[in-house]
Amino acid sequence: MKKSTALIFGYNEYTFEIEKNIKSVYEHIYILKLDSDGEDSFDLSDNWDSLSQKVNIDDCVAFCILEDMAENMFLTISLRDTFKDLNIVALSEDQESADKLKLAGATRVIPSTQTTANVIVDTLEKPIATEVLHSILYEKSNLKISQITIKDHTVFDGKYPTDIEWSRDHGIIIISVFHQDGSSEFIYSSKATHHIVQSGDIFVVVGYDKDIKEFEKLIGTKCEK
Amino acid sequence: MMKSLIINFAYYLDTSKSYQKTKIFFYNLLENSDYKYKKYFDIFMIILILSSVVILIREVKSHVNDSLFFFNNYVISFIFLIEYILRLWISSSVTKVIIEQNEHDVMLGNKFRLLKALKEVSLHKLKYIFSIKAIIDLLAILPFFHQLRLLRIFILFRLFKLFRYAKSIQTFTSIITAKKFEFLTLLIFTSIIIFMSSVIIYIMEANNPNASIKTLFEAVYWSVVTMSTVGYGDIAPVTPEGRVVAMFVIVSGIGVFSFTTSLVVTSFAEKLDEIKNLKVIDDIAKIKNFYLVCGYEKVAKEVVHKLSKKHKVIILEENIQKVEAAKKEGFSVLNYDPGSIHSYKKLGIDINVQVKAILCLSHSDVENVYTALTIRSFNKDIFILSILKNKANRNKLHFAGVNEIFYEKELVGIIAKEYVGQAVAFEAIHALRLSSTHIDIEEIIVNDRILQSFSNVGSLENIKYRIVLLGVYESAKKRFLFNPIDSTLLATGDYLVVMGNTKFLKEFNTHLHTKVSK
Repeated sequence: MKKSTALIFGYNEYTFEIEKNIKSVYEHIYILKLDSDGEDSFDLSDNWDSLSQKVNIDDCVAFCILEDMAENMFLTISLRDTFKDLNIVALSEDQESADKLKLAGATRVIPSTQTTANVIVDTLEKPIATEVLHSILYEKSNLKISQITIKDHTVFDGKYPTDIEWSRDHGIIIISVFHQDGSSEFIYSSKATHHIVQSGDIFVVVGYDKDIKEFEKLIGTKCEK
Repeated sequence: MMKSLIINFAYYLDTSKSYQKTKIFFYNLLENSDYKYKKYFDIFMIILILSSVVILIREVKSHVNDSLFFFNNYVISFIFLIEYILRLWISSSVTKVIIEQNEHDVMLGNKFRLLKALKEVSLHKLKYIFSIKAIIDLLAILPFFHQLRLLRIFILFRLFKLFRYAKSIQTFTSIITAKKFEFLTLLIFTSIIIFMSSVIIYIMEANNPNASIKTLFEAVYWSVVTMSTVGYGDIAPVTPEGRVVAMFVIVSGIGVFSFTTSLVVTSFAEKLDEIKNLKVIDDIAKIKNFYLVCGYEKVAKEVVHKLSKKHKVIILEENIQKVEAAKKEGFSVLNYDPGSIHSYKKLGIDINVQVKAILCLSHSDVENVYTALTIRSFNKDIFILSILKNKANRNKLHFAGVNEIFYEKELVGIIAKEYVGQAVAFEAIHALRLSSTHIDIEEIIVNDRILQSFSNVGSLENIKYRIVLLGVYESAKKRFLFNPIDSTLLATGDYLVVMGNTKFLKEFNTHLHTKVSK
């Protein structure tokens, strides 16, 4: 289920960048400052009653972006301790703190140093491929990446995914296949190539918005996760 | 008349392109260690020297073939003679001295003083002739006059010429000369001990009928052998007084020996970093297409770690602790200030030829701006990339000439959106790019060779090779064609953006390049 509220814990430069990027996704965004006076504040005392009263936690995604890694970990562990099902996205400085944040209960971790390094290296090594990927991922062009669940497998008549002319017939490119356990396989990996298309399969596809929508109409609906 | 002829001739030579070109060529060949052909010349000379010594050794006990004898005495000596003359020629410029003297005299309204100019020229040349290296060179030519048997021993002087060609010997000499004072003190001390002990032992032993030390030479020989702690035992003192002297000499010999050892060791230890640094500078001069990283901090560590898998990376860092940290990671790092022009001059890096891109990765925007400005002050074209720590400084980096800026917080914001927006797709594509999955995205440039066999997208057979063709980047139109139809024509300079298993990607690449020969 898609959430409608975002809680951003921490008030720094990351806050503005995250807010700028997610405001189109969420109906409500709350920015909470650490140890400050006022309504929009929080502390690390483990008391989240006022927050629970203010928002419906089940409908929230939390962003823990305190720059002090020790405090960020404490915040993550405190939120996880109180809210077992909360979706927590935490900022980490490096791989070491990323591992610790995962242990602390973060659903997803964004390692800032590694992210920057990856983008720099990709830009230098594969400038065109990186630009293409970024334009797909960050929706800078009409190209989109999407995950589609197969509802009606009879369309494919027991075929293997690699036997279907996706690009010629449907104008899309299949990148990977998602299995029920949540793991993904590249379309040409041996596991994926020996798997007949069945209802419930999730395909990660790249294509123009129009083509993807037409493909969705043909075989199922867009997967919301 | 004579004077004007000399001046005209000097100007003629000084402006003659072919003369200057020849002189520069020989200078590079003989003296410029950065010149790529010098090492071949050095190797050739080393072989000549060694073969010359081998012939000399063989000659001691057996007859040497006449042709070898001729080769050793005439051919090698003649080559050395030519080398000597060339070195004398390039040691200083005669024409420059004459022209300078002439211009000086003309400016002062005097007549050209030829004698003064010749005196100056002679001084320069004599200074070279009497330098140690030139004397060794001259002595190495002497065996040419082989009729004088004694001169044959001068072949051994050719060994000294090795100093010119072997860099490690030069390094060793420079280390020893750095401790010149200590070695001189030691030498004087040792000489005094040897002299004193020789005289005393001679006085004590010479008149004793059983003594083996009969002459002063034997006394000196005994002292040196004892002092050096070698102690052959062929000559030994027999009188009690002589043995007392021996005890003193042995004790001082141990002292001298250990002092010499420690001196050499400390000289090496002190110079080790310098030697290593010189070696790195030397190596850098040979590297082409490397990335230059300015500043070593967390982002730099990650970037260098990833980049160095496929490319050469050199780090410039001013802070010694960070330099040490980079060394521990096994990276090539130099303790130089990336914000100083002097650093680039000293390192002798030709940015246009050697460097692919410059990465300003310091965690301080001030330092990155300063570094970018420094580089832009002497190079307008090189691609500079920088990280940005504070958004307010973005324009400053642009003004400093940075081509691409990476703002960490912005990247985190974009990624956060993708995480929450299309988490599955986002994670899928990122998981594919992890090295553990062996799936990679590559861009293959379409060259003439590929184009000869594959004129359109349909002929690529990417599906057969289990490769996903995301699209074609058309360089001429600067646009990306996603999922192009089979009839799309390819052109030289276009890029194929493909995705697949690293093994299959390699096979596909080979397939594209080899089909022409089938």
